[in-house]
Amino acid sequence: MAFSIRLERRLNAPMAMRIAVPVAAVAGGLLAGGVVMALGGHDPIDAYGSIWEGSLGSSDGFQSTLIKACPLVLTGLAVATALRVGLWNIGGEGQLIVGATAATGVGLYAASLPGPLLLPAMILSGCAAGAVWAAIAAVPRALIGLNEIIVTLFMNYIAILLMDHLIFGPWGDPKAFGFAYSRPLPDAAVLPLLPGTYVHVGIVIALLVAVTAWWLMERTPWGFSVRVSGGNPRTAEYLGLRISRRMIIVLALSGAIAGLAGAIELTGVTNRLQDGISVNYGYTGVLIAFLARGRLLGVVLAAFLFATLVVGSYALQTTGVAQPIATIIQALIIVFLLAGDAALAFRLRITRTRPLLEPAQAGAG
Amino acid sequence: MSFWLNSLSVGIVLGTPLAYAALGELIAERAGVMNLGVEGMMLMGAVVGFIVTLGTHNAVAGFAAAIAAGAALASVHAVMTVGLRVNQIVMGLTLTILGAGLSAYIGTGYAGRRPGAGVSAIAIPVLSQIPLLGSVLFNHDVFVYAVPFVALGIWLLLYRSRFGLWLRAAGEQPGAADASGVPVFLIRYLAVIAGGGFAGLAGAYFSVVYTQTWAEGMTSGRGWIAIALVIFGTWDPIVVLLGALLFGFVDGLNFQLQSVGVPVSTHLLAMMPYVFTLIVLVFTWTRLRHRRVGMPEALGVPYEREAR
Repeated sequence: MAFSIRLERRLNAPMAMRIAVPVAAVAGGLLAGGVVMALGGHDPIDAYGSIWEGSLGSSDGFQSTLIKACPLVLTGLAVATALRVGLWNIGGEGQLIVGATAATGVGLYAASLPGPLLLPAMILSGCAAGAVWAAIAAVPRALIGLNEIIVTLFMNYIAILLMDHLIFGPWGDPKAFGFAYSRPLPDAAVLPLLPGTYVHVGIVIALLVAVTAWWLMERTPWGFSVRVSGGNPRTAEYLGLRISRRMIIVLALSGAIAGLAGAIELTGVTNRLQDGISVNYGYTGVLIAFLARGRLLGVVLAAFLFATLVVGSYALQTTGVAQPIATIIQALIIVFLLAGDAALAFRLRITRTRPLLEPAQAGAG
Repeated sequence: MSFWLNSLSVGIVLGTPLAYAALGELIAERAGVMNLGVEGMMLMGAVVGFIVTLGTHNAVAGFAAAIAAGAALASVHAVMTVGLRVNQIVMGLTLTILGAGLSAYIGTGYAGRRPGAGVSAIAIPVLSQIPLLGSVLFNHDVFVYAVPFVALGIWLLLYRSRFGLWLRAAGEQPGAADASGVPVFLIRYLAVIAGGGFAGLAGAYFSVVYTQTWAEGMTSGRGWIAIALVIFGTWDPIVVLLGALLFGFVDGLNFQLQSVGVPVSTHLLAMMPYVFTLIVLVFTWTRLRHRRVGMPEALGVPYEREAR
């Protein structure tokens, strides 16, 4: 009697495991990140203590985490929204930067707008710029099927160079002594704070956008048609849905969300356009969307977790652990998530193998 | 005249790492596995190559370590996508971010330093004396001279060897290949890992030979240009090499224009390679999309034996 062991696809994974995998992945990522730190000669337990103290474990840290979560919620939403129509928006970084750039332009050149109008005008122009930047990738994708991953990615580099051109050139601050800063923005261009904190209202805006995006995609007929176009293009075509139009609209929306993140960072945090206005928020958003399994509300949770790691890693720097450890842990979490999903999708099946014709059966036939 | 000759010469140097990275990606893709982690693998190669060269004062050791680092990161991709059949796009993007983070982490404190050893240019006797083109073509380092032979070697491997036939079969019709006894999984593992080695080499070329410094994110999207090059090159190693040299030339033009003081912002000039890539990509794709010339049929599709 022989046995064979094979990998075989599971038809449906138990619900408990669908939840257990991301939790285990986070644990695995933290553990592996600890190994990386230990290899660098740092005590991982001390390090995680500092991360906790610097983020959720103190009032200042918690407020910093809320501030950091704002752009991450939005860039994560940008990726998850585009995924609804089956597209990969890897250009959140660039869309965020052109959003901040456009908002700066309005802040510098329309500064005479009445106070209460200036801020909305800046934020809306940030959204519009992000939408246009994403549409540059969406149109060739919709019309000739050109891979949007590569195009959105190249647009990131172009956006950074455009911003650099402006802050080193026409918008540069003559008083910044060669630092890459634009001139400061007028006082009316500063986002208000939540009462009793130093957290700007951006996080509230981000949460509202999350709920709106969820409602639009999951609770409206149009959102349903978008999901059909993304999930099952053949059905969509059969139903007469115009997929290419939906691709362009959704990717532009996704870009607008990332552009909004840029306008908020500008008006809430930096108050002038500067190099490093985005600390890889666009790329972190991709990982956040993966961890949230593309779910719009899950993005909020994942973004908070990743914000904790980023803010905590700043505190960690004082102990000598380099800040990119946050990125490493985030990426490792996703590696574990993917491995866990794969383990869920397959199961080992051990079967007895029989000869094709057993003598008894052959005889009885 | 010297402006164009200089641009050509710089273009060849800048095109060389692009060619290595793109040829590596081509090998993986011809076996059916898309690896979007090229940028991350290049950064790992750049930082490891730099640090080992600095530590050993030996660029050969640096390059060997860089190749190993690229291959090590690629083997994660191989295990995940070939072994566990994880989505290749998701894994590749994660790998790029992981490589960027790891290289920045490892490279902290090395920014601004010099590698202390390098790979010097070798002027080929007689040939380098040819007026005008001699110094452009025949006064380079060994990696530049080797790249046409590497491209040719890959072409021969793909089209003139049994292993190449197997590799292409794994990328086109893995089910049929498996049924006729081709070790599809093994070939895909080897192809992805070899591709990572090429990316690591390309990264070290930037840090050890070209800029002779390490800086966080220093490859600034060259890994993605390499991926785009495989598409323009219609998955043919010779065309990919020519494409890489063309892109190197555009990249080099930017530095040359800056150095002769063209009255355009350096930042706008630096956009050229990206804008050029996008424009060429749109044109190539418009022309090719219906025929899918050269694109491996099973590219991006995990192979499962049960699905046969």
